[in-house]
Amino acid sequence: MVTAAVSAQQIERWTTMIELLTSRYTYVLMFVLLGIGLYMIIASQNLVKKLIGVSLFQTSIFLFFVSMAYVEGGSAPIVPPESNPGELLVASPLPQVIVLTAIVVGIALTAVGLALVIRIYSEYGTLREDTLREVRADE
Amino acid sequence: MSNIDLIPPLLIVAPILAATLPIALGLRYDRTGWSVATITSTGLFAAALALASVVYTSGEVIHTLGGYPRTYGIQLVADEFSTLIVLLITGVAAGVLAYTRRGGPRGNTFYTAYLLLVGGLLGISLTGDVFNLFVFLEITSIATYALVASGDGPESAVAALKYLILGTVAASMYLLGVAFVFMATGTLNMVELSTAIPAAERPVLIQTGFAFIVVGFAVKVAQWPLHTWQPSAYQQAPDGVTPLIAALVSTASAYAFGRLIVTVFEVDYLAAMPNAAAIVLTIGCVSVLAGTVLAVIQTEVKRMLAYSSVSQFGLVIAAYGVVIAGNSETALTGAVIHLVGHGLLKTGLFLGAALVAASYGARTVDEYAGLATDRPIVAGSMAVLLFSLVGIPPSIGFVGKWYIALGAVESQLWPVAAVIFLSTMLTLAYAARLLEKMYFTPATVVERPHARGPVATDGGDADRDDDSTPDSEVEIDDGRAAAGLRGGAARNPVSVGMIAIVVVVALGAVALGFAGGAIAELLEPFLTEVIN
Amino acid sequence: MVADIRPLAAVLVSAVAIVLIIASHRRPNLREGWSVVAALAKFGIIVSMLPAVIGGTVFEWSLYESTGIQFLEGIDFALRADPLGIFFALLASFLWIFTSFYATGYMRGLDEHAQTRFFASFAASLSTAVGIAFAANLVTIFVFYELLSLVTYPLVAHNEDDEARIAGRKYLTYTFFGGGVFLLAGTAMVYWLTSLVEGGPTLAFEAGGMEALAAAAQAEPVYAQAAFFLLIAGFGVKAALMPLHSWLADAMVAPTPVSGLLHAVAVVKSGAFGVARVILEVYGPGLIRDLPLDVPGIGEIGLNIPVAIVAAFTLTAASIIAMRKDHLKRRLAYSTTAQLSYIVLGLSMLHPYAIVGALFHIPAHAFAKLTLFFCAGAIHVETHTDYISEMAGIGKRMPLTMTAFTIGAAGMAGLPPIAGFVSKFYMLIGAGDVGGSYWLFAAALLLSAVLNIGYLWPVVYTAFFESEDRHDAKPLLEFPRGGVVQSYGDGSDDDHVATDGGERANGTEPTDTTETEDTVVDEEFEYAVDKYPSDHTGPDDVATDDQGDRVSSVNHHGDHDDHLTGGPPAAGWQRHSPFTESTWLMLAPIAVIATGAVVLGIGPDYAVFLELAIQIVEDVFGMPFEELSTVPFDELMTEVTE
Repeated sequence: MVTAAVSAQQIERWTTMIELLTSRYTYVLMFVLLGIGLYMIIASQNLVKKLIGVSLFQTSIFLFFVSMAYVEGGSAPIVPPESNPGELLVASPLPQVIVLTAIVVGIALTAVGLALVIRIYSEYGTLREDTLREVRADE
Repeated sequence: MSNIDLIPPLLIVAPILAATLPIALGLRYDRTGWSVATITSTGLFAAALALASVVYTSGEVIHTLGGYPRTYGIQLVADEFSTLIVLLITGVAAGVLAYTRRGGPRGNTFYTAYLLLVGGLLGISLTGDVFNLFVFLEITSIATYALVASGDGPESAVAALKYLILGTVAASMYLLGVAFVFMATGTLNMVELSTAIPAAERPVLIQTGFAFIVVGFAVKVAQWPLHTWQPSAYQQAPDGVTPLIAALVSTASAYAFGRLIVTVFEVDYLAAMPNAAAIVLTIGCVSVLAGTVLAVIQTEVKRMLAYSSVSQFGLVIAAYGVVIAGNSETALTGAVIHLVGHGLLKTGLFLGAALVAASYGARTVDEYAGLATDRPIVAGSMAVLLFSLVGIPPSIGFVGKWYIALGAVESQLWPVAAVIFLSTMLTLAYAARLLEKMYFTPATVVERPHARGPVATDGGDADRDDDSTPDSEVEIDDGRAAAGLRGGAARNPVSVGMIAIVVVVALGAVALGFAGGAIAELLEPFLTEVIN
Repeated sequence: MVADIRPLAAVLVSAVAIVLIIASHRRPNLREGWSVVAALAKFGIIVSMLPAVIGGTVFEWSLYESTGIQFLEGIDFALRADPLGIFFALLASFLWIFTSFYATGYMRGLDEHAQTRFFASFAASLSTAVGIAFAANLVTIFVFYELLSLVTYPLVAHNEDDEARIAGRKYLTYTFFGGGVFLLAGTAMVYWLTSLVEGGPTLAFEAGGMEALAAAAQAEPVYAQAAFFLLIAGFGVKAALMPLHSWLADAMVAPTPVSGLLHAVAVVKSGAFGVARVILEVYGPGLIRDLPLDVPGIGEIGLNIPVAIVAAFTLTAASIIAMRKDHLKRRLAYSTTAQLSYIVLGLSMLHPYAIVGALFHIPAHAFAKLTLFFCAGAIHVETHTDYISEMAGIGKRMPLTMTAFTIGAAGMAGLPPIAGFVSKFYMLIGAGDVGGSYWLFAAALLLSAVLNIGYLWPVVYTAFFESEDRHDAKPLLEFPRGGVVQSYGDGSDDDHVATDGGERANGTEPTDTTETEDTVVDEEFEYAVDKYPSDHTGPDDVATDDQGDRVSSVNHHGDHDDHLTGGPPAAGWQRHSPFTESTWLMLAPIAVIATGAVVLGIGPDYAVFLELAIQIVEDVFGMPFEELSTVPFDELMTEVTE
């Protein structure tokens, strides 16, 4: 009897977990994307690819915000100008604002990063980190 | 003074708007950057003083941007803690300009980045919103990358890119942490968060968020082993830039971290969170030790000072750990004072290093031999600053260390206390190395490839002699005091202003050594508010 | 407690002098004039407070009360002229007057570099030393203690050669470990402990011990003990307690006035003085006895016992080491190490008589040791001789100096009527009065007196009773430890004998002392008639014969000044009258200080120091000194606790 109760509880927990995974699969995807970005930053020898990794890393966080704000059946958070619009199901507007800002910041960062890469390329003639290290060590 | 709450937004907006001026005016005039920057930062400093006089007499000043309520609007908050940082930032920013006028870098774009950086830093200090904090962190970072990359050689671009990649990852980590906290609480305002966090239904989200935030700031504050961007960035940045970023960028990040700990998460909540205190303490203590060891083995002065920053920020982070673990008001006072004090000391030291590099091209510790006889004032000021860094009273370095150590003792965290007391010795290890070279190693021709400038005219002598009155107790000379300062008036790479600012910083470091009680008193309302 | 600016003025007067000294760096006479003026002014200010202090008044200057600035939260920066403070300040400032004259003579005699830096640092050292004396609480004393380490560093590293730099490095390391680590940690712990009880937090000294600390120690005995040892270790570094003593011998590379006033009086005594403050006015004798330390195998002992044991060990061991040092200043340095431990030992015995003895030993040793160092410096300036083995017959070259040296040596050994006798006598009474295991400490004191004679008498003997060409072997110096079959060694001065085997191999020289003396035929030395004899030339000529070879083969490595050739000139020492042997700038201070040592010994009741010492002890124990001898020791201790 006791074991049955426990297993029932366990089954329940599993199902909620599976439900969570299926309903919140965006979170899982986001962390996969995050991992790919981080891996690129660390493992790639190419400076441009590293920057792409950084962008990917950031983008995954933006997606996290956006998916967090999603409300099932909700529309875009644009509120009609009536004084009392009544019952409206909209996604949370705050994360969307945040992501908009963060995207701008991200673009600025990528631009600066690429500018630096161009400068490095014009000075050393390479984009590969290992070659760069050798060249700098020789100098 | 009903308009006083306009000062916080002005402090942020003014430099960012002014940042466009050097470029715009640069289309027509050549050298406008310095004037624009000087006017702006002097104004900012004056505004900061006005703000401080209000904050420390009648409590915090809050500005709500656009009038939106704080649940979803953004607030700018100038309280006792942030005002102190604002004063440091505006003061240092105005002071460093005294160096850059002759010491360079000079381009208009440099001053654009300079003002952008100041605006970002002030934003970090004043914002009351965790996402807004991210934005300002990134503004600061972008300006810093640009400033680091404006160094002469291609090395600086490599250093900047390294910094950019690590810095962006760190900021993103912080953003991710914010995302988790937002998920659990639904708000971004710091005050709202402080009530929402303990009430959150899913504390695991908060814990995850805090973990990401800790990692993010460990990079930003340059804690071992995530410090790797910092030494090369400091070293490769132009000499006039290093004092600014060394004094302010990591300091602002450390301030933000402290702000999150005491205002957003709140000490009680973190104390109950498993391992939070232990992790923060460990990061801090390990950085103190590792930073010093790395500093001792450096040959380049700027690099040595950069590693010294790793260890000094380790002290601050360790103090935060003590605050969490021991609920210690004293340690928080210490952390705040050490933040400001370290910023001031590093400004002076990097300015001194820049000055020496400008006049002799001396960059390694060995090349500093005999500096005391050639440049007694600079050497004396640097000696005062170094001893202050070691923590010899009376100086700001000692005051910070005393409060942090006392906090650790009061909280009975003996290993931490031991590390803090030992840090005196460890700091001495690299400070004494430099001092010994400056004062007790005669210069040789080999060590000094760039002899000092031609002793052509004594034109600028009169006002410099005023300068050479003894400024400090360590100020010693050998009858050749003025000799080192007499260079050709026109071609001298070192201006009076450059020397004066180093001296002022050194004097300030000593004078603030007597202000230990005063600063603690100023912080008192803030401390009682955040620590129960 | 009377508010008065004079304690601050006494500290600052030499700080002002620093500015003037640096400003007048182009005019040496003016510069040294400032030194003397500052010394006189400082002494004058301190003396002006003396009568009132003896009368029981305490002058205090507090930063908070005079300016409203609080140094640290809850901690005032305060200076207080109480009997103990004025005791030390009086000594330091009095001796500085004569040292300024002497330093002028010394630095000019050697034509040293960086004299401005030297005099400025010297004035700064005195400023901080008086600051230590007048400090009213642990933080204030810490501030000055650290500053003292800082400003004496340029003096140690003065020579700017490798040896001086290494000595300076060692000096900084030791003193900052003591100050910045141990002392700071102890101070923070005391602050924390006193904050746990009513009446705290406090760090201010109280005669007989801080009451808040006594209360806190009952609650947290372990931490109170730890804080005690941290504080003692912090001050013990400067007091050169073993094993923290080795910086002192290395610091002897500094010019001799520094070795004399700072490394025999101001700096090292500030350590001993700090120990006195901790024992008498932070913890108090009663609390120290009441905080027993549980030692496995022995049982519970007072906190003072480990300190006393370390001190007793140090004074014995340092005396033995001193015997094997050929470099005169190094021998004196080890003697200082030993003598400082007398003070610490006397204080840690806690008995009122021992404490009086210990306190009186501060000036007694200061006068005697300053005499000895001044003599060593005068010899160095006049003849460039640093090694005892080269001083044979120097008594006829420098009669007054060596006479003063004899007085100083007698004072070290504690022979009446020199000052050292009085202090040692009190300490012996104290030790005997307690009895029991304290007899061990009395024995150490007596043994060390013998050892003192053992290492200082040979110098006197060499100077007066030997001549440059006829002198005995110095077994302790020249022979390997444990002795050799032959009675004549290779003249090595220290432990390096074993590695110098090669040199001994040239011992084709006669193996018998008497034989050696017989082989010497240079009896017809003609004493030069030049006004300036060739004292400074090396014994190159003599080096050809056995005797000269032996002298110059003394192994000097590890010591400085090797570039200067010491020892007697080729023609032997020139005979000088006491008035022409050196400049008056050096002779007068030597004579005055040596006289002072005798005066202190003959009439301690009339010299102010004993009176002050008795007053300090009366304050600590809270009863007249005459009554103290009637009360049994254990009762005395409980008396204090109440």
